[in-house]
Amino acid sequence: MNPSKIAIGLIALAGAALPLASVRADDTVKIGLEVPLSQPGDAAAGQLIRRGAELAIEYINTEMGGINGKKAELVVQDSQGRPEVGVAAYRKLATEDKVIGVTGFFHSSVNIAVNEVANEIGVPTIATQASAADITAKHFDIAFRTHAIDPIRVEAFLEFIKKKGYKRISLVAETTDYGIGITEEMVKQNDAGKFGLELQKIGFDHAATDLTPLLLQVKAFKPDLVINIGVGAPLDLMIDQAATIGLLPDTPMLISYDAPVRPQFWQLHPKDGAGIYFIVYYSPKEELSDIAQWLTKAYQAKYNESPIYSNLNGFGDVAILAQAANLAKSTDPKAIVHALETGKFKTWTAAPVTFPRADGVYWHNWSPPILIVQYTKPNQDWRDAELIVQHVGAAH
Amino acid sequence: MFSTELFLQTLISGVMIGVLYALMALGITFIYSIVKMINWSMGEFYMIGSYLQYVLVAYWLGPDLWYLAVPIAAAGVFVLGLALEPILIKPMFRQALERRDEYATVVTIALLLLLRNLAIGLAGPNQYSPGSTLPTVMLGPLPVAGASLAASLCALLAVALFYLILKQSWYGLALRAVAQSRIGAQTAGVDVFRLDQIAFGIGVALAGIAGALLAPVFLVYPANGVVTTVKGFEIIVIGGLGSIPGALIAGVLLGVVESLGAAFVSAPYQNVYGFLLVLLVLLLRPTGLFGERGRQA
Amino acid sequence: MPTLVETRDLSKRFGGLVATNRVSLAIEQGEIRGLIGPNGAGKTTLANLITGIYPPDSGDIRLAGTGIAGLAPHAIARAGLLRSFQVCRIFGNLSVRENLLLPYLARRQGGGSSAEASTRAEEFLAITTLDRLADQPAKRLSGGQRALLQVACGFMVPELKCYVLDEPFAGINPVIKDTIIELILSANRARGVTFLIVSHEMAVMRRLCHRVTVMIEGRVVVEGTLEEVAAHETVIAAYLGKAFV
Repeated sequence: MNPSKIAIGLIALAGAALPLASVRADDTVKIGLEVPLSQPGDAAAGQLIRRGAELAIEYINTEMGGINGKKAELVVQDSQGRPEVGVAAYRKLATEDKVIGVTGFFHSSVNIAVNEVANEIGVPTIATQASAADITAKHFDIAFRTHAIDPIRVEAFLEFIKKKGYKRISLVAETTDYGIGITEEMVKQNDAGKFGLELQKIGFDHAATDLTPLLLQVKAFKPDLVINIGVGAPLDLMIDQAATIGLLPDTPMLISYDAPVRPQFWQLHPKDGAGIYFIVYYSPKEELSDIAQWLTKAYQAKYNESPIYSNLNGFGDVAILAQAANLAKSTDPKAIVHALETGKFKTWTAAPVTFPRADGVYWHNWSPPILIVQYTKPNQDWRDAELIVQHVGAAH
Repeated sequence: MFSTELFLQTLISGVMIGVLYALMALGITFIYSIVKMINWSMGEFYMIGSYLQYVLVAYWLGPDLWYLAVPIAAAGVFVLGLALEPILIKPMFRQALERRDEYATVVTIALLLLLRNLAIGLAGPNQYSPGSTLPTVMLGPLPVAGASLAASLCALLAVALFYLILKQSWYGLALRAVAQSRIGAQTAGVDVFRLDQIAFGIGVALAGIAGALLAPVFLVYPANGVVTTVKGFEIIVIGGLGSIPGALIAGVLLGVVESLGAAFVSAPYQNVYGFLLVLLVLLLRPTGLFGERGRQA
Repeated sequence: MPTLVETRDLSKRFGGLVATNRVSLAIEQGEIRGLIGPNGAGKTTLANLITGIYPPDSGDIRLAGTGIAGLAPHAIARAGLLRSFQVCRIFGNLSVRENLLLPYLARRQGGGSSAEASTRAEEFLAITTLDRLADQPAKRLSGGQRALLQVACGFMVPELKCYVLDEPFAGINPVIKDTIIELILSANRARGVTFLIVSHEMAVMRRLCHRVTVMIEGRVVVEGTLEEVAAHETVIAAYLGKAFV
């Protein structure tokens, strides 16, 4: 067989094997979902957000009567966790699929890059789980967020640190927008609030696998707390390698987001997971909204597990876009943006969501509370983890 | 922060990981010596080896019998290599011994994409680990995960075995001859095309062994081979294409340089130190530390 | 004696150049045939065609009656038709001994007793007086020694039927030349090995060859003993110029 034919055939096969957008239908109102579905993005997170988003479409079409009388449709694009791929995906969603909004963003670097382009094109974006400041701090009209932002997250960290009386903190962060953002915010708030903490800042490449050399440096620093600011594989590698060199379990470790709620966590860390501190975005004892209860039933029926934050927020963001379009009685991007700014929207929490034009990073931002919990036993369900801190960002 | 203990720990850590990178490099350089082609998809065979190991351990043998799973996983990758070579690589060689070098790049990169996306599609996005029941061991001042130590030792064993087979067996003799002169070997009666196939199988199996050994250490997910491929190529430049001792020594050197650089200079630039070493070697000794100047066979 | 190697109307062109033009020749079993001609006559091309380095554009090649045109070189070698190269193709990084063992083992595809292989290698190491260097890498040999080693390698194969030697004597000293000649003659006498030798060394060819084929510009011009062809007008003209005819 001709080698070039083989090569073309293989590339075509490879392209076809990529997880991609859903089938199109005419006469529907489309909502764009941009999530990481393959490496180097956190594909697990992307899948979870997607599940919530898909159920939201079902909810919109069965319970909400659609969008402006028409059926809603989800168009999914894989950002791969890479800004350039994300930008191309956004362009396609906005200009070809003509979505009313794009949501699902998980990686901050992707969201920041997309927002620059969205600012020109005009189709609004809602960050589902991307937390870097610049996503909203640039005050673009099209930029919205329903997630914890770095200042609030770091406020929670510091509340935790103060409560425990820690003084020496190691920040081990991946050198992405997310990791750098949290590190810089920690430094800023430590100085401003005069916490007097001694901070060790260590960065690493998101693709790195051998973290042992820098963890040895962390161990030599003798910190009171290590904050694990890795996303996806590096998060797990850090836990493993820290345990190997004896850094864990002697030194407490705080995971910077809610990855440990996923069932995978105990499969990967059956011995080292107990004692780990991590973030969750709502308390299981909290009462959720009626649409969240609809989602919980539907999710349980379909996937045989309870939904977690990623599912809930993915669900909520798609529902918010639908509500905005219904409020505006239009699918024009400018009208949607205006509706988002002025309306009050139902999401999975009991309290409604608003997107005020506030200062700084609080622009168009709604944040869930940040709770810091700790696994006290191996194989513990995250809902039974011990609550240490519950922090709600101050209204701005 | 610097101390002798920290230095020693970092050194040991670097040596151990270097040995595993060397295994990848060995596979790449070996395939090149025989088939005269760079296989860009080596990392995906590492990945396949790691998935095979995970499946064997998680669903059949259990973590205690990891050492039985490794050769089976390696054999699986070997067979896959044997199967793929006649379809993908052999067509490059038309007219007995001519070859179309440019197709090697296109075909192996296409293979890379195919394998990686197949993995994502079939295995899903999560990381897995076969788990390990091996205890943590003190190697001098450094606590080392049992699985890591086992991986490094087995890698050394694999290199030694490979070297022995190459020097003592008939196939090894024939492979060494083919590496030096394809035409000479053919006219002596050696079926070079059959050996190409075997060499490709062995080369990717070496990557598969590395993947299987490192499955509990660096986890199992579709892109876990990317980093190791890059390191493999760096090692080849440093050690010299076609040299087995070169691959081993350069591998360890790279591991140590990266480890020390990450610990004592600046952690985020861990990968950069390797490239700096590559640049240095290219400037001072372009054929690599142990490489030979290319000659027309 | 029956014909062992035969070509019929063998033609090969490289781009615009016709290297061999309908070459037909027949070598009898046990014959030592010389192949001579000025540079560019197509001698090496013919040797390459016969040993399978590339296939002919047209024409037929037979070994003991079986067609071998288009077969891969290793298949032809295993059928008993071996060759040496003008630019010595020994394996520099293998030891002298390993070079000798390779064709023997290749013929048996790795099987067979290693004791037999070693014994045979020792014999040839002794004959070629390369035994002192047996375990040295072959790249350490001098030019003449390499030529000797290359030729000896073919003789290692017991099933050798026909040996095609491409310029085996070029630029080597008289002592080694003699050793090679002895190897050829004794293999021919004792084992009945057939030879096709391409060379410019007329004195050696006179000693060795029963008959000689002359090629000029891709064609076979004349065949006969060396004396006969040396008197042929076209041959003289080709070598020395028309002024000498």
